[in-house]
Amino acid sequence: MSTAIESEPTFVDKFPDEARVVRAAFMSSFFALFLGAIFGIIQTLHRTDVARIIPSTDYYTVLTAHGVFMVISFTIFFLVGLFTWALTRSLDRPLINIKITWTWYGLMAAGMTLTGISILAGFVDSIDMSADVLYTFYAPLQAHPLFYAGLAVFIVGTWIAGADWFRTFLAWRREHPDERIPLQTFMVLTTMTMWYIASSAVAASVLLFLLPWSLGFIDQVNPTLTRTLFWFFGHPVVYFWLMPAYMLWYTVLPKIAGGRLFSDPLARVVFVLFVLLSTPVGIHHQYLDPGIAEGFKFISMTNTMFLLLPSLLTAFTVVASVEYGARKNGGTGLLGWLTNLPWRKPAFTGMMLAGLMFAAGGFSGMVNAGMNINYLIHNTLWVPGHFHLTVGTAVALTMMAGTYWIWPQISNKPIYSSQIGLFQVVLWFIGMALMSNAMHAQGLLGVPRRTAEPEYSGFDYPTMFGGFEELNIQIAIGGTLLFVSTILFLGNLVLTMGNPKVSGLAEPLPSPVSGAEDAPKVLDNLRLWVSIALTLVVLAYALPIAAIINRGGLLGPGVGTYPVWVAPLFDALANAAATLLGAVGDASAALAEVVR
Amino acid sequence: MGQSEAANAPTDDVGGEGEDFDPIGTLTLIGIYFAILVLAWVYIYFVEFLGRDLVVVG
Amino acid sequence: MHIHAYEKLWLALSIVLILALVGTVTYGAVGPGVAMVADSQSTVDPGALDEDERFSEPRVEQVGENEYEAYVVAYQFGFEPTPIVVPANSTVTLHVTSRDVIHGFEVVGTNANTMVVPGEVSEITVETDEPTEYGLLCNEYCGAGHHVMEGKIHVVSQSEFENRGGDSE
Repeated sequence: MSTAIESEPTFVDKFPDEARVVRAAFMSSFFALFLGAIFGIIQTLHRTDVARIIPSTDYYTVLTAHGVFMVISFTIFFLVGLFTWALTRSLDRPLINIKITWTWYGLMAAGMTLTGISILAGFVDSIDMSADVLYTFYAPLQAHPLFYAGLAVFIVGTWIAGADWFRTFLAWRREHPDERIPLQTFMVLTTMTMWYIASSAVAASVLLFLLPWSLGFIDQVNPTLTRTLFWFFGHPVVYFWLMPAYMLWYTVLPKIAGGRLFSDPLARVVFVLFVLLSTPVGIHHQYLDPGIAEGFKFISMTNTMFLLLPSLLTAFTVVASVEYGARKNGGTGLLGWLTNLPWRKPAFTGMMLAGLMFAAGGFSGMVNAGMNINYLIHNTLWVPGHFHLTVGTAVALTMMAGTYWIWPQISNKPIYSSQIGLFQVVLWFIGMALMSNAMHAQGLLGVPRRTAEPEYSGFDYPTMFGGFEELNIQIAIGGTLLFVSTILFLGNLVLTMGNPKVSGLAEPLPSPVSGAEDAPKVLDNLRLWVSIALTLVVLAYALPIAAIINRGGLLGPGVGTYPVWVAPLFDALANAAATLLGAVGDASAALAEVVR
Repeated sequence: MGQSEAANAPTDDVGGEGEDFDPIGTLTLIGIYFAILVLAWVYIYFVEFLGRDLVVVG
Repeated sequence: MHIHAYEKLWLALSIVLILALVGTVTYGAVGPGVAMVADSQSTVDPGALDEDERFSEPRVEQVGENEYEAYVVAYQFGFEPTPIVVPANSTVTLHVTSRDVIHGFEVVGTNANTMVVPGEVSEITVETDEPTEYGLLCNEYCGAGHHVMEGKIHVVSQSEFENRGGDSE
């Protein structure tokens, strides 16, 4: 036994420096998850009018914090940790310079801290700072400059991370000139390629327009232009969240199921399709925007619909890989093999339930992608109902489930309790099933998203799949279960950190049924895919952006500035002035007394 | 937990044994999913969406 | 590159599904004639709406037999005019703009739903049926008072509309 253990080192045994970075990134990620969950439960209970512990005007601070901490901090910190693990592991070599690695980690952490401070300061009236602009920060609502500056620093950090991985890959390439790119490295490189293309637009929007504008260097911006640049980034970013989950489904889930990946070549095809198609689709978030021609919207829709293809292919390949494992373990029958799977392992069950929810999210996503049917659901609660299935479960639950498998590999510490883990992932599934289903249903009633008080004085909602109140209760119960699930996950992880280190935890990943040698060489030609992706982006965006600038001007048709962070300042000044006047009044009265 | 990784070659590059395997269960599950998608789409588009008041026609 | 026959079948079904989705939306555009809010209207200076002939006086006016135009201004935190009174069994073209930030214009429980962007004019044409009342709300976050931003649309009989002199105020 002991010789077997020595022959199978874990990731942390082989790459202790990299493992430390991975752990640091995961800890940042889970800290954000903790904050995001607190704001999530406050928000759920407020919106559904179960418990309103904050004034409704502060709801939007809570909402901004929940959005930014969950979808920027939690997801992306997890991604950089997972990708550092995956690249190092699959290339079987250390990163070229760990100081650079810590530099990008530091930049990301510093940037997110600045942005986080600007958001949380919104709760403190005595600080003249606020960023209640929500995750989408549409101008002309304006946040404190620190909000935009922090985001810029964070994004620069991710760019350096990508460069770190590309340089490590190139160093490996010099040592292995004729080998195929290992699958996990291929996934890292294609995902980062997509990220560079996508994040360039939001960086341009922040650095050219929003930051100078918030600092007062320019008077106004073109709201349609900054909105379009946001969605240029805002759709591919959802695949940036999703690709870590896909990586776990393709490379880790089959192993836990006792099988192997069904097809390495198809996995590569899927990631290439995401590089090509995930960016020229952002206008589907703007179907109901004035000032953008219907033809541009239609082009965006066809691109979006074809983006279903890689996900539909993934569904097949991943389920087939799991079936392969089940049959190897003695599974038989058309569906009887489903009982020959390790359902007691939280990593397995969590990822499978996440995949099941992603399938449901696929349907509401199809509706969101449809151009004219957007009138039905645009900006209703249907939309957050959708993305709590995708980023909120397919991504978040896979990340939590994946942590149960990967944490021992990067720390040599076994998970504190598998039972709690299993309970936690099932609880997440139940909570999200309740919450998301009710959100979709309320959306069809016309209940808007992003509002502190969805009940109005002038009208009532119709009753369809249960009334508004009834659905509110489902949302509140679901949200509460999700909060409890998050706390159980974090608690389990903290207790795991207290476990002593042991050896023998290594779980090497098996090779695919159909391996890389079966994949056409052209799939590894990243230059080709980048040039096609850029061509598609230019085709999809050059004319719309030219038209938007032509209509409204680079800096907008006379649109004002609506800083969410100056109003408290004015209030404070007004209060101070009133106090001062009062004091002056008292003093003069006193003086008059004295004089008299 | 079976065989260990080859010392210097990443496991991703190690070829599979190419066993033949027909994922009939997967095809069944995904066929059911396909049917649900089509029915749900027809309902949401033609009943929920086109059946509403104030259809935007211009 | 070896692809299993079942996976080829699934690939084919997936492409059929995608084409069917695009096909359904295309049918919706040419059959029932659902049109998208687009760039049909010229831009407007949101700081000088009172100088724009469309929005200097938010209103509903008759422009043809059974054809009406409504000019609506969204602002932090309300809609003008309110209620928006339109006649039953008629064609109404709504023009909506904002004098401050981005808003939403959603007639609750219907398909009349659009973004409202300062500087741009959202133009949507709808057909009314019988007299009824609809709720109107802003579905895009627009500031700390977003949740109080609401309005009404009253669809009234032709005779009642004419008795009001076509004036919605």
